[in-house]
Amino acid sequence: MTSSKTIVLRSSDGATFEVDEAVALHSLMIKHRIETGGADSTTIDVPEVTGNTLSKVIEYCKKHVEAPNSDDLKSFDTDFVKVDQAVLCHLAKASYYMNIKGLLDLSSKTIADMFKGKTVEQIRETFHIKNDFTPEEEEELRKENSWNLFV
Amino acid sequence: MTQSFPEEVLEHVFSFLTSHTDRNAVSLVSKSWYDTERWCRDHVFIGNCYAVNPRVLTRRFKEVKAVELKGKPHFADFNLVPEGWGGCVDPWIVEMGRVYSGLEEIRLKRMEVTDEGLEMVAKGFGKLKVLVLASCDGFSTDGLAAVAANCRNLRVLDLRECEVEELSCHWLSHFPDSFTLLESLNIACLSSEVSFSALERLVSRSPNLKTLKLNRTVPLEKLSTLLQRAPQLVEFGTGAYSAEGLDAYSSLAEAFSGCKKLKSLSGFWDVIPAYLPAVYSVCSQLTSLNLSYATTQSPDLSKIISHCHNLQRLVVLDYIEDTGLETVATSCKDLKELVVFPSDPYVADANVPLTEQGLVSVSQGCTKLHSVLYFCRQMSNSALVSISKNRPNITCFRLCILEPRSPDYLTLEPLDTGFGSIVENCKQLTRLSMSGLLTDRVFEYIGKHAKKLDMLSIAFAGDTDLGLHYILSGCDSLRKLEIRDCPFGDKALLANASKLETMRSLWMSSCFVSFGACKLLGQKMPRLNVEVIDERENLNSIPENVPVEKVYIYRTVCGQRFDMPDFVRIMGKDKADVYNLS
Repeated sequence: MTSSKTIVLRSSDGATFEVDEAVALHSLMIKHRIETGGADSTTIDVPEVTGNTLSKVIEYCKKHVEAPNSDDLKSFDTDFVKVDQAVLCHLAKASYYMNIKGLLDLSSKTIADMFKGKTVEQIRETFHIKNDFTPEEEEELRKENSWNLFV
Repeated sequence: MTQSFPEEVLEHVFSFLTSHTDRNAVSLVSKSWYDTERWCRDHVFIGNCYAVNPRVLTRRFKEVKAVELKGKPHFADFNLVPEGWGGCVDPWIVEMGRVYSGLEEIRLKRMEVTDEGLEMVAKGFGKLKVLVLASCDGFSTDGLAAVAANCRNLRVLDLRECEVEELSCHWLSHFPDSFTLLESLNIACLSSEVSFSALERLVSRSPNLKTLKLNRTVPLEKLSTLLQRAPQLVEFGTGAYSAEGLDAYSSLAEAFSGCKKLKSLSGFWDVIPAYLPAVYSVCSQLTSLNLSYATTQSPDLSKIISHCHNLQRLVVLDYIEDTGLETVATSCKDLKELVVFPSDPYVADANVPLTEQGLVSVSQGCTKLHSVLYFCRQMSNSALVSISKNRPNITCFRLCILEPRSPDYLTLEPLDTGFGSIVENCKQLTRLSMSGLLTDRVFEYIGKHAKKLDMLSIAFAGDTDLGLHYILSGCDSLRKLEIRDCPFGDKALLANASKLETMRSLWMSSCFVSFGACKLLGQKMPRLNVEVIDERENLNSIPENVPVEKVYIYRTVCGQRFDMPDFVRIMGKDKADVYNLS
């Protein structure tokens, strides 16, 4: 293996995490920061991500870097996203900012699966989204949509 | 939570939604979701080109890569829609050309396509990869030449059952010599010769060619040459499958044996049975076999089918007879779809040994069968009941007993119970087409049980308006209803007016729907176009209580058509009623 250099990642709320460089490089954003930041960059700020989420992201990267060919990788991923919907959304955002494609795909697909077969109201309720259409606007769109005018 | 999602993340989530219902649901959640969704929806399907207009499409969706459009109603296939009715794609091409420069796929069904339209496509969509024209007309080989010459990225050119004015056999030569991307070419509908040398050169320089469906004029003697140039083919349609003598046999058989990936065969016009064994080496690979042009007798058909153990789709003429279908039942255990066409539909009492028994056998032996289109001359309630009990997994059941109003041939009763059994047992049924002697009772069964029915075709059936009422009030999932020659009139139609807005379209021809009712319906329901299609003279002086020849009712967000011929009237919209979404 390569040198056991470690990197410190600092979340938006000041939590710090020491990780192997190889694990950190799983995030292309961090990889870029290291490559362009000069030899002294051992602490990297990740202001878009809170400590709780960052901790989970690191857990993901660790598994995928240290045991990429393990038989239980798939079940690891399945279990990894068995979290509540808020955590899932944080993971999706974090993986986007940190440019970790595997985690972005995993979390996005899991969120998409939560939409499948649901009505508009159910989706709004699950994700606590406010309906900002006027009744007239919504009626118009409902007609356009429910008429299956477009697939 | 997700409201603070960056748009890119939301888009990424949406990219995992493939069903239109899910896409539509997320687009309604909030304004920002609506905006995000419309910017990233890249596949659009428009089942009725008059339900929207090109501007509505381009106003909402900005980055469309694939569009599918349908024009004429389905009964156009039976010549019930007069020529000139409409469904011209040109206005769509103009508008899409303005906005969707990245358009890659165009799929059209039952639309009028002109040469000018094809030229616009050829010159306006440089990234075009797929052009599928199904049951389209209005264009000539000149339009095809323009496509061949200009569409540098074309992978798929599929002309399915189109009517093409064939001015020249050289249009294929317009594909440049440097063009090597072709993956699929279907010219089976052309009746004139195409230049074989151009075809051969095109095939030779297309290493990715997977689908090649020739037309009748390509002689059998030339097939081995083509197959040798393209042993990677997955789908192949022969031309006329006959030759003088058997000289061409061994090279043909050898050529077929080289096609290790072949899964689908069709063509076989004018088939000479002695040449059928040439395909035996690939039979066990086949998942799809279309012998609907193979006018040969049952033993020959049975023989070839008995080799096709992996067949999933079979299209054949009634020459197959009941015995041949028994062979299907024992040999083709993976069969999912069966289509049996009539060899002589216009001959009454033709002595064809294909009866209801053939279908019963297949329903018994083929446990995966879910789609049936069956033409025959006799049927019984008991056979239908058996079929429904054997195959409750049927999703598409289309039965065409050739003589209208034929009763159960054993009991002389209507076939109500038989079809009733179909809808009751086949709970996933989405498409049904009925025939034979049918009373209002069958519609009662359908309204009660066929809750997943999406499309229903009725002809020469029913007694009163009650029949139509049962359908419209009972079938919760119904989107397309087409009716001809049934005694259905104003009452049921007007009583179920609001149902019509939940459907894509309703077609009624040679029924008892009056001009007055059409006008009333059009006035009452501003979101419906009630199109009366009537070729009689002096339409304006026909009394209101007289039945119309044909009426086509469909929901629309854009009101009036502006391309109507004089035999088409949209009723009940005398005030300027053009409805625009703001």
